[in-house]
Amino acid sequence: EVKEAEPEQENDDFTLLKSLAEGQRSKETNETPVRESLEKEPYFPDESDSTKNRRLVEDYDSTKMENGKYQDDPESFRQVDGTPLTAEDIVQKIATKIYEEDDRGVFDRIVSKLLRLGLITDSQADSLEYEVAEALQDLITKNAKNNEIEDLGEDYPVTREDDDEDQAAIDDDVDRGEGDDTVDNTWDRESEGEGEEEERSEGERDEGNELSPEDGLQDLQYFPNFYRLLKSLDSEQDAQERETLITIMKTLIDFVKMMVKYGTITPEEGVSYLENLDAMIALQTKNKLGKTLGIPGIIPPTEDDDNTKAEAAKMQKEYENLKDSTKEEAPSTETRDHPGKSEIYLEAIRKNIEWLKKHNKDEGKDDYDLSKLRDFMDQQVDSYIDKGIIEKGEGETIKRIYGSL
Amino acid sequence: MNRFVSLVLLWTLVVLSSTGPVTGAEEGEISFEYHRYEELRKALVSVWLQCPSITRIYTVGESFEGRELLVLEMSDNPGTHEAGEPEFKYIGNMHGNEAVGRELIVYLAQYLCNQYQQGNESIIDLIHTTRIHLMPSMNPDGFEKAASQSGELKDWFVGRSNAQGVDLNRNFPDLDRIVYGNEKEGGANNHLLNNMKKAVDENTKLAPETKAVIRWIMEIPFVLSANLHGGDVVANYPYDETRSGSTHEYSASPDDVIFKSLAKSYSQFNPVMSDPQRAPCRKNDDDTSFTDGITNGGAWYSVPGGMQDFNYLSSNCFEITLELSCDKFPAEDTLKTYWEENRNSLVNYIEQVHRGVKGFVRDLQGGAIFNASISVEGIDHDITTAKDGDYWRLLAAGNYKVSAYAPGYLTVIKKVAVPYSPAIRVDFELESLVERKEEEKEELMDWWKMMSETLNF
Repeated sequence: EVKEAEPEQENDDFTLLKSLAEGQRSKETNETPVRESLEKEPYFPDESDSTKNRRLVEDYDSTKMENGKYQDDPESFRQVDGTPLTAEDIVQKIATKIYEEDDRGVFDRIVSKLLRLGLITDSQADSLEYEVAEALQDLITKNAKNNEIEDLGEDYPVTREDDDEDQAAIDDDVDRGEGDDTVDNTWDRESEGEGEEEERSEGERDEGNELSPEDGLQDLQYFPNFYRLLKSLDSEQDAQERETLITIMKTLIDFVKMMVKYGTITPEEGVSYLENLDAMIALQTKNKLGKTLGIPGIIPPTEDDDNTKAEAAKMQKEYENLKDSTKEEAPSTETRDHPGKSEIYLEAIRKNIEWLKKHNKDEGKDDYDLSKLRDFMDQQVDSYIDKGIIEKGEGETIKRIYGSL
Repeated sequence: MNRFVSLVLLWTLVVLSSTGPVTGAEEGEISFEYHRYEELRKALVSVWLQCPSITRIYTVGESFEGRELLVLEMSDNPGTHEAGEPEFKYIGNMHGNEAVGRELIVYLAQYLCNQYQQGNESIIDLIHTTRIHLMPSMNPDGFEKAASQSGELKDWFVGRSNAQGVDLNRNFPDLDRIVYGNEKEGGANNHLLNNMKKAVDENTKLAPETKAVIRWIMEIPFVLSANLHGGDVVANYPYDETRSGSTHEYSASPDDVIFKSLAKSYSQFNPVMSDPQRAPCRKNDDDTSFTDGITNGGAWYSVPGGMQDFNYLSSNCFEITLELSCDKFPAEDTLKTYWEENRNSLVNYIEQVHRGVKGFVRDLQGGAIFNASISVEGIDHDITTAKDGDYWRLLAAGNYKVSAYAPGYLTVIKKVAVPYSPAIRVDFELESLVERKEEEKEELMDWWKMMSETLNF
């Protein structure tokens, strides 16, 4: 399906993510070619140590990406002159976005969601607001002078037309007469299970967003719902949404890869993040868009990675158990069930740790004793496994999560 | 870094879902969906993982098909009965196709954990002063059957009974008949199942789920409880079985006054239940016994062998039956509304456990007296002390004479003025008969001595 290059994405809050993806994929083609003149990054909560942010940025050095550097790397976590992105840049980008959309609601929406989810504190929100307001004011002043919309990345060839052409060319090759062909080359397998190569199928594509073996992440089989969602967005007005979604998914996969690569999370955790994401997509799609995505087929892993195999086999088994007693009636329930339970558990554990930290701080106590907590949890988990309350695999996941804290 | 990825993930998901508004912080944290058995198990495990210092999961036994009858316990010291701390339970889904109660209990667990961590003072206080047991499903086998039905409309009966076809709410030993007999001819007014353990173990008619719950009742000194159903909207209180055996007859228990108050304490916060203009669930339903969202069981229709009356007549636990939805297994997208209608009621009803009088019964040396009886003048139903000598006697506001009695001890009577809430603390120190005799003997000796000195013996 031939697609125009993305029109203004700026109405989407997650454009920020998208540009992150642009930066991430040093080698990939852009099916989602939003060559924004602006680099938009998601705002990271104000870590007390700003050098942390900086390090993050450096990690995304495209030259370090396993897939090699893509010849044309228009956007990355770097300024035009190659210096890494700083927190100030990020604030700048948000301010610019607000300016261009002329909608302060952008900021409010993002921040209120972050607050509600407990991911930033009130004071972090306040300081963000302050900084963005300042940056915005500067922008307004500057632009009043220039009397035109500012192009932050003016050294960039922001030729949307170019992008269109690239995209069109790519899309033509991708086209297989299905609605969802702009899916990244890693997802060119049909949901019905045509066994397409996960690699690129077109010449001009570089190595696809292929995940390294040690991650054990097989894209498509963990995103059947996402794939279905894309398929369901086959109308003209959905085109934009689809592009955005694709970019987001890619971004997330890359993030997870990065995290795994740098040892921040284990491959299994990475797998389960993404598994749970797919499940959430099914759920949210059903809840919010009123669509049901159908029962995903479980595609057995082909990787040699034992962990993912075990993970997927477990899912398979659970699914079988469910399948016996269920009908079409509750597909989204099933979807929710088999993938990503470790993500749910991870989230629950995270909340507990956060509460402990806050609670001890409030009461003026010393930091909670992590090793004692870990021992206690290990003990409880074992006891629960004995009683049939937790499955062995789940128990191991929980212990592992605590072990990695 | 983890936080970063979570942030990104959550942000994306939040944005993906941004086509609809999410109202209220707590609603955003609970996912209003049906939970099949595995999902139920995981949901409870997640609550435990999030709040391990105030929760514990345990199982009271297995269903006929081997599913665990899971309970999530919430208290400041999970796993232990703290002396003087009342025990409370919610049981849902004993009829497998009555699904709303099951889900509400799961959401309640999530809600209490979230609110606790967010510093909600009244929830924190409730959890610190109560031991709350939440059993989302007493009939997980039935639920699976009901949930497996395809199509929008679930059959009125499929999944109601357990896997053996037993209606669990008719399966409990019928103690109503015994108490009605005792009312006429004299006899005990409480703890009517003699040799309870033996009776349960040897009764072949009891379903495994029923047995498990009876053992649970015997083991934990529950004070207050509710049993969640569907198919109508009302709070139902004892007695369920009519005295005369007729199909409809108001059958008051000795604690009719407090039961009405307890039932109302639930219905008043549920806008549907307490709506005087509410139309009956079905055109030909007879709602004449409903007032203020409550009804006496027998007045509505006679139910023999039910769990509610069994609680009251075999143990110290006061239980009511909550009917929460006209539709027994409504569509998933209505669950959020049911939660909103019931959330305040569910929490407020737990708080009712802190009413009446409570305290300890001890001997003169300060030792706990277990199984002492607490009687209230004018109410023909006694309760007994638990192992630490602790007791909780639910009473409506008023003036009462409360007495403590134990075999071999002298009864002590105290006058108490009881407010609506909180519970008034009344402790008893009981003198044993032996001690009394010794005292009397000493008094006698003293008198003899005095007499002999005076009269110069």
